[in-house]
Amino acid sequence: MDTVKIKNLTKKFGSTIALNDLSLNIEEGKITGLIGADGSGKTTLLRTVIGLLFPDSGEISVLGFNPSTQKEKLNSYIGYMPQKFGLYEDLTVIENLNLYADLKNVPHDFEKMLEFTSLSPFQDRLAGALSGGMKQKLGLACTLLGNPKFLLLDEPSVGVDPISRRDLMQMVRGMISPETTVLWSTAYLDEAHSFDTAVVIDKGKIIYEGKPHDLAKTPQEFENKVIDLMGGYSKTFSEIAENYVPHNIEMECTVIADKLEKKYGNFYAVKDNSFCIKKGEIFGLLGPNGAGKSTSFKMMCGLAKPTNGTASIMGIDIRKDPEKARSNLGYMAQKFSLYGSLTVRQNLEFFAAAYGINYTQRNDKVEEIIRVFGLDEYSEQKSEKLPLGLKQRLSMACALIHNPPVLFLDEPTSGVDVITRRDFWNHITSLSKKGVTILVTTHFMDEAEYCDRISLFYQGKTIAIGTPKQLKEQAKADDMETAFINLIKESEN
Amino acid sequence: MKILLALIKKEIKQILRDPSSIIIAFVLPFISIMIYMYGINLDSVKVTIGIKNDDNNPETATLVKSFGHSKYVNSINYDNEKDIETAIVRSKIKGAVIIPNDFSTKLSKGENADLMVITDGSEVNTANYVQSYAMSIANQWLSTSKFAKNTVKPLISVESRTWYNPDLNSHYFIVPGSVAVTMTLIGILLTSLVVAREWERGTMEALLSTRVRKIHIVLGKYIPYFLLGMLSMLFNVFLCTGVFQIPFRGSYLLLFLISGIFLLTCLGIGLTISSKLKNQFLASMVAMSLGFMPALMLSGLMFPINSMPKFFQYLTMFLPPRYYISFVESEFMTGGVYEIRIENAFYLTFLGLLLFFVVYKNTFSSLEKKPKSSFVNKQERGAL
Repeated sequence: MDTVKIKNLTKKFGSTIALNDLSLNIEEGKITGLIGADGSGKTTLLRTVIGLLFPDSGEISVLGFNPSTQKEKLNSYIGYMPQKFGLYEDLTVIENLNLYADLKNVPHDFEKMLEFTSLSPFQDRLAGALSGGMKQKLGLACTLLGNPKFLLLDEPSVGVDPISRRDLMQMVRGMISPETTVLWSTAYLDEAHSFDTAVVIDKGKIIYEGKPHDLAKTPQEFENKVIDLMGGYSKTFSEIAENYVPHNIEMECTVIADKLEKKYGNFYAVKDNSFCIKKGEIFGLLGPNGAGKSTSFKMMCGLAKPTNGTASIMGIDIRKDPEKARSNLGYMAQKFSLYGSLTVRQNLEFFAAAYGINYTQRNDKVEEIIRVFGLDEYSEQKSEKLPLGLKQRLSMACALIHNPPVLFLDEPTSGVDVITRRDFWNHITSLSKKGVTILVTTHFMDEAEYCDRISLFYQGKTIAIGTPKQLKEQAKADDMETAFINLIKESEN
Repeated sequence: MKILLALIKKEIKQILRDPSSIIIAFVLPFISIMIYMYGINLDSVKVTIGIKNDDNNPETATLVKSFGHSKYVNSINYDNEKDIETAIVRSKIKGAVIIPNDFSTKLSKGENADLMVITDGSEVNTANYVQSYAMSIANQWLSTSKFAKNTVKPLISVESRTWYNPDLNSHYFIVPGSVAVTMTLIGILLTSLVVAREWERGTMEALLSTRVRKIHIVLGKYIPYFLLGMLSMLFNVFLCTGVFQIPFRGSYLLLFLISGIFLLTCLGIGLTISSKLKNQFLASMVAMSLGFMPALMLSGLMFPINSMPKFFQYLTMFLPPRYYISFVESEFMTGGVYEIRIENAFYLTFLGLLLFFVVYKNTFSSLEKKPKSSFVNKQERGAL
């Protein structure tokens, strides 16, 4: 028995084809992973399946209903978690649960749910005050209320640390009944590898459908195979790095954190954080959500004032002369923080001016950056209209426009598909070879392997520091993810 | 029903936790009434005028005195016209009265005597006051002076009496009118944000995948903000009658009933803006300009509707505040005229229902509008 039957489904937005003559059946009682690049049509497919969007042509049947006309009946049997979780941030945990229980007409019996999500101690906390991982668990709990026959999750694990991801997976597997069908869209291929079925979608068409284990035995191989299916990625030399003009730097440590501390009231967001990053090193800052990574980051670039300690960039104390220290720095923020209503070219022109590039050189510099980053096609488009992967590339272009010796990247690959991520890391490693010092945070443990050294951050403190190999040995683990989880568990004891 | 209750409960909790909606509902009316009460004054204010008396007759000295005793006028005596000019230029005085040297001689002969009144035309309203005050003070003085016998008795004696507002206190109609402006603002501003917020935060998408229906979403927004708006109305009326002692002569029951209908029209406008724009910032900007400006300018509160150009007169017919202001002013001051009540209640109900329909039509149970083509029917057959 199939939960979903789709035949020749086409959906257009204006002239863009989101879903192109797509046919797919989803088996009952199985977890199906939906894999695809940004803009490949994953979210559109989920939304069309539950009747939030209407198809232009083709047939869909979900649990025997037509979602376009029988949405109300269908809604009683489904649980859907949209990308932003759908939580009311100004309601408490328990109030969110009460609301969704009433909307789904199920009793207010949350004991098992709260225990499973370990949200019991936080029942009266506002959902907006929860950490990313906890929000996600609450979102999932609300979605799971009323034991839906068909569960749809739209990239539930974006921007969440490995521990929360593992919890989430256990929660779904533990809470659903054997007949429940799950459609799980994800950018994590290790996650997708553990599902019953994998569906790879590209440009609105399905390019692979089958058991993940048939495609590859290990998650790593699976990732490579999926990349091949999507057209492949061959590591080429990085024109971005090629274009970079190396600086003549004599010092050993270009970035130094000296006993950085940030205290909010009685709470230490960051405590006694010291490290030194050598010239040309890729230094990874890892840790669960809310560990204090972003706060450290902000202090390092002078955006937040440390309550104690200091940091220096290229030997310039960030507390004494923040402007001068920052001029040596390219910064890429976690969220897309460019001007959405400006075109690609206008954004670059603005940042060129903001970083103090001479007026006479500015045009040439912008032209050069547009060419090197392969943005020619999009240079006159509004930046908010770009797909996520291109937005990230533009952010990086803006961060590199003044040829800085130091680069800070805060979760640069969050929510980006696997090919774009590979491409991105190719540039990062090539840049480091040319002497750029790079500080990076990430939740992808496979990316951590690219770092020369890693500092593992937990509850505001550094709990381990070393090369990826050293950390794995210290945690007696084979892969970074297990090392990460083991080291954090150890520090709790 | 259970779904609707849950949505209303949710909305009320959000209102209570969000200081901005409480500020809009209770602090805004307070500030607004304070401004209308103390900031805006269309009445006779006490004006300072200059007097130059060129007539040495002791009888004219009493005329100068009566200018000094008037409760509407402060007077300053001047000896030459140059000083008067300087004083007017410096805005020390708002006008001047000059009594010529043959004033009393002409009066005692029973001839027509001249009295010069100079006013400052750069402030038209004040100039009118100065003119009419000077006239009435002079006439009053004449009727009690010894020249009274020389005046011809007028054949018509005008007995004027002002109904409903004998003191001609403009606060008595401006402050209730301001309630209408505040209510418009509250109704539109509060609701313009709430649907857009659900779209922006992604909660709408989650709601639409539950058993929630269109009517639940619409009523789930209308009801809580109606309750909040009525509380705000209660507070407004309390400020007017309780704190600022504006007389109320009508029926409280009808006042709240028709205010309720009016509030529904405002909520309707706000919700339409919100569900159309789906963006909080844009919605609040549009709400301010669409709600506040017409309510103030085109409602007949400040500028009489029948002195507007024809086009604007027709335009005001689509503005709920126009009907409500007419009702509120009459309810406060006259104690209720049935024709006014029924006529305005009728138009407001009509507009309220129309807007409710517009809101309902603009609320989707999916992320996009349902296509109307016959394709959907074909689909259904396919699914069955």
